[in-house]
Amino acid sequence: MSMYPSHFAEPVIQKDSQAASRNELAHIPIKAATNDSSDSIFFGVLQNKLVKYITKKGNRSLANELLTETFEIIKRTQIERYNLSKSDREKIIIDAEKLLINAIENSRPLLQLSAIKRGGVKYQVPIPLTEKKSYFLAMKWLLDAAREKDRKVKLPEKLAWEILDAACGQGRVIKKKDDLHRQCESNRAYAHYRWS
Amino acid sequence: MRIPGALFAARGRAPQNEKEVPFQEILPLRLKNTVSGKADSGSDVACLQEMGVLFACLKDNEFVEKYCNKEINQFQKCYKFYMDRKFEAKKTVNQGVVQPGNNLNYKQLNKYMRRFPNPN
Repeated sequence: MSMYPSHFAEPVIQKDSQAASRNELAHIPIKAATNDSSDSIFFGVLQNKLVKYITKKGNRSLANELLTETFEIIKRTQIERYNLSKSDREKIIIDAEKLLINAIENSRPLLQLSAIKRGGVKYQVPIPLTEKKSYFLAMKWLLDAAREKDRKVKLPEKLAWEILDAACGQGRVIKKKDDLHRQCESNRAYAHYRWS
Repeated sequence: MRIPGALFAARGRAPQNEKEVPFQEILPLRLKNTVSGKADSGSDVACLQEMGVLFACLKDNEFVEKYCNKEINQFQKCYKFYMDRKFEAKKTVNQGVVQPGNNLNYKQLNKYMRRFPNPN
């Protein structure tokens, strides 16, 4: 629930796009920008979301540190790969943020299974996902995979590996997504049961 | 003399005596002044055909998504269109503007019927 009445407009945070909507928004009350949004070049929407998902017990600064460390590890490994490879150096992406976005896009599911009771039997019914939910699931799976580790391994290390794996279309997260798609495919006969 | 049973059967069963079995009005014998909005919510099944096409494509390509970009886009577009339309429909229902016509939703009907209720 928002504390603002419904006629309040969303704030435009990116400075470049403010000019375009200036005339429209001139006489409309605007919501205050949230304190975590920023116009900095280091700000990414997905990155910001991921920090929120990493956070435990409200310790956002620790989560931020963890993600920064993850990016550092990613960048180090990618630079190492870049220097080791003799041919096709252009193909190796070093930008950690771009790799994170690639990883999330690669692990986004298309469908979901939800249990629906019909005649005393629970059927697993494939239902389409909204964009928002699919992004959430992708990030959740990445984090779940990263949290399943030995006690001696740190979270940034494991998360970096998961992101690198998912970015090139391999690894546990991608497998999980494929498994979900396979299950949806095998339950496709129940697709018309969806009603709630 | 015995009367054959067939003669009784032809006359049928005698009606009950109304004094012995008085009529009970279990539910009120008039319509309510409201309708429920259940039928307007509709079924949530959408994009079944697109889903079928997508599944066929995925199965053919062993669940590699990059070969099914067209199908995936179509499926997602369909679902988004469906959700947008649902959202708009809900918005118009909640506005509850009553206009003349026979195609009214439940909120409009309820507004009408509140103005012209059944006499008690």
